[in-house]
Amino acid sequence: MREPWWIDVIKAAVIVNIVMLSFAYATWLERKVLGRMQLRYGPNRAGPYGLLQPIADLVKLIRKESFSPTHAIDLLYFAAPVVAAFTALAAFSVIPFGGVWEIGGYEVSGRVADVSIGILLIFALGAIGIYAFLVGGWASDSKYSLLGSMRTAAQLVSYEVSLALSVLGVVIMAGSLSLVDIVERQQETLWYAAPQIVGLLVFFVAGVAETNRPPFDLPEAETELVAGYQTEYSGMRYGLFAMAEYVNMITLSGLAVTLFFGGWSGPVLPGPLWFVVKLALVVFVFMWLRATLPRLRYDQLMQVGWKVLLPVATLNAVVTAIVVVYA
Amino acid sequence: MPLEAPVEVMLAASAGNVLVWVVWVVAALALLSSGIAVVLFTNPFYSALSLIGNLASLAVLYLLLSGEFVAGAQVIVYAGAIVIMFVFVLAYLGGRADAPWAGGPTLQAAAAVVAAAAIALEVIVVIALAAGDQLSDTAEVTGAFGSPAEIGDLFLSDHLLAFEATSIVLLVAAVGGVILGSAMPQRSKAGAD
Repeated sequence: MREPWWIDVIKAAVIVNIVMLSFAYATWLERKVLGRMQLRYGPNRAGPYGLLQPIADLVKLIRKESFSPTHAIDLLYFAAPVVAAFTALAAFSVIPFGGVWEIGGYEVSGRVADVSIGILLIFALGAIGIYAFLVGGWASDSKYSLLGSMRTAAQLVSYEVSLALSVLGVVIMAGSLSLVDIVERQQETLWYAAPQIVGLLVFFVAGVAETNRPPFDLPEAETELVAGYQTEYSGMRYGLFAMAEYVNMITLSGLAVTLFFGGWSGPVLPGPLWFVVKLALVVFVFMWLRATLPRLRYDQLMQVGWKVLLPVATLNAVVTAIVVVYA
Repeated sequence: MPLEAPVEVMLAASAGNVLVWVVWVVAALALLSSGIAVVLFTNPFYSALSLIGNLASLAVLYLLLSGEFVAGAQVIVYAGAIVIMFVFVLAYLGGRADAPWAGGPTLQAAAAVVAAAAIALEVIVVIALAAGDQLSDTAEVTGAFGSPAEIGDLFLSDHLLAFEATSIVLLVAAVGGVILGSAMPQRSKAGAD
């Protein structure tokens, strides 16, 4: 009945590679979307519609010389991008993308790992990921890097609280921390986007801030801080940080789909396809925001986080708890 | 013989095989060595980083004890939220400065020795109890063991007093933080005048 360990290994290898491939094409899609929204073409030289652009970028990054500052603290400086990429990729493993199929006599489930504390695991890996940004900037021994990593840490810590609280409403309604259970509860009732619309809004705003995406990209405000914590990184080390950011965005979109939009459920089409379609739509909204909204000021960022999102998320959790208990 | 207590606990995790053994040994060694590293590093930034490793390996031990929720909460709250504040402040301070405790034993060092002695005594008592066969009963681990529902139930029944007392302590700490934070600029302004 339970799938043997080698199926788990195959699934993990396949999913990691698919996530990395979708990171590569998320960069392509972002440049295309931004280009079109600004009345440009975007990349269109490498291959048809510029489809080979991510491959060209990868080759460029790998062949580039990886500079490192003389006074950088080697071990921490080299380890930071690796930890960032690892935590980002590992977090995707608990997001379910399909039901259970029977293939060749084995029951294969549409998730790499079904953990009873799935949501907590994603937040825990995110919490470890913050250290990568903070330590990477500190170990670079550069003022811009240090200030950038300080901003990153302050922003991520502030918005993590709202992000976790906004999810609490969904957890209370589903009565489980397992993402698979949450999707199955939504199939029985309705998508939580409707009853948890406040939670969804807080989750999305906090999520944009948590992934350092515009309009919350203060940690990398190029006009003030060059490139923030990654200023002193080049070549594929920079590439790993970029990958961590995009994969975090993809994981967060996957989490939004799972918690609020019924995960893999949908009519006619197979489950994984529905999951990918919904995921792509959420990712598109991330890019749309980047093309539309100007960057916040630092005080505005803190105001929104602590004085708007946190009270709203707390109220949402309390009201949900009261309704679930007494209704 | 002293190793017997942990082995029993591992068997209670219902998967008493070689893999569990290996994970337990690695996590326990990481826990001890990172704990020692926290006190031995003279650079406070490295001490804080070792503390993350310490708390993370403790979370692995919780996982082996079927306490999945506690392990997750441990990483999010302690390794995530609390140590990040240490690292944040230490990075601002430069982090390459000498440790404030460098240069001779202080009252703080003496207190640390006393605390360590107390914990050592506790460890000896536990080992003695294990040797006396009083800890050798395997724990009953049911499906709901360590679930958020069960933990919440215990908080609001058996451990209500401790739970409420902790919330008051945290509230006092928060108020203290606000007072310290709001009083500081005024004092420095008065000093400048």
